[in-house]
Amino acid sequence: MSEQHIIERLESGPLAQFNESELAQVAAHVSGCESCRQAYLVAQTAEELLRTRAADLVQPPPFFQTRVLAAWRERQAANEVWSFGRLWRTAGAVFSSMAATVAVLAALTFALPATSNTTNSPALAQSSAYSAEDVIFSPDESDSTVSDEQVVTTIMDADDELR
Amino acid sequence: MRRFGPRVFQVARRFFHQSTAVEDAAQEIFLKAFSALDGFSGSGSLEGWLTRIATNTCLNLVRGAGRRPELATADLTQTETDWLDQSAAAHSGREHTVEDRLAASDLAGRLLESLSAEDRLVVMMIDGEEASIKEVAASTGWSESKVKVRAFRARKKMREAVEKLLSAGRSITERAGKGREKK
Repeated sequence: MSEQHIIERLESGPLAQFNESELAQVAAHVSGCESCRQAYLVAQTAEELLRTRAADLVQPPPFFQTRVLAAWRERQAANEVWSFGRLWRTAGAVFSSMAATVAVLAALTFALPATSNTTNSPALAQSSAYSAEDVIFSPDESDSTVSDEQVVTTIMDADDELR
Repeated sequence: MRRFGPRVFQVARRFFHQSTAVEDAAQEIFLKAFSALDGFSGSGSLEGWLTRIATNTCLNLVRGAGRRPELATADLTQTETDWLDQSAAAHSGREHTVEDRLAASDLAGRLLESLSAEDRLVVMMIDGEEASIKEVAASTGWSESKVKVRAFRARKKMREAVEKLLSAGRSITERAGKGREKK
């Protein structure tokens, strides 16, 4: 390794994975090669920085747990509102279709009789002659044909039969 | 949360430098874990399952935030510059004070921020925490060959960033030395 540059070997992996003989070879090479010495110095510095950061353990701050639980409750509340909104949007389609149906039926119920009353055509008047009001309030033709004499005769006959 | 808090913070620190960003990420990880708790089959360890959620959440958060521009010498604090100078002067046998370690940790975090989310994860796990390729593959769900390729590229980028800072520091020191000689 002392004749060959070691830059590629340095880049192949972390220096921590080099065994003792490899490190000795690197040391022998860098003592006579300036470019490899620089590369070795950079590799050492970079790894020392990373190892120091990795060793620098950080504990959660005192109120971290409270903070996370508060955020969790907040998120759950937001999700509940959101799910209610989604439910409302889904139900809204059903409600609006029902409202439209009711409106159409109401229009048919109230608007159509109004149009028939306003028309004065004789054909329509004839067709409505057998309406409920006519049957109830107008005197029946068959009733008007029974005279008082017939009623008296019927009563007399009934008396005779009883005797 | 008490049991796995340090683990979650460790994962978040692979990706984020600022402590507030680490806390925000840790909170998001726990919220995701609470939501997905019904999906935990119990076949593996809870810590492994949580680590996977933590890694994926952080990857998404970093992807969403984008990466920072390269760190320049002018952006460094005095302690970070001093640390680099000492590092360039004598690497082995150097004693580390608490300030030294804090400066190095801070500098590493800032350098990592200039890398992509995947590069941060891989270089931090393999070169920093000395994790194996298999461990990274298990933590991310990537294939081992993908981890190897990622690690090679990420290591190269990290070293390039360090080299820029070191060479800039060297040129500043040389200029200062020449200035003193003229006087």
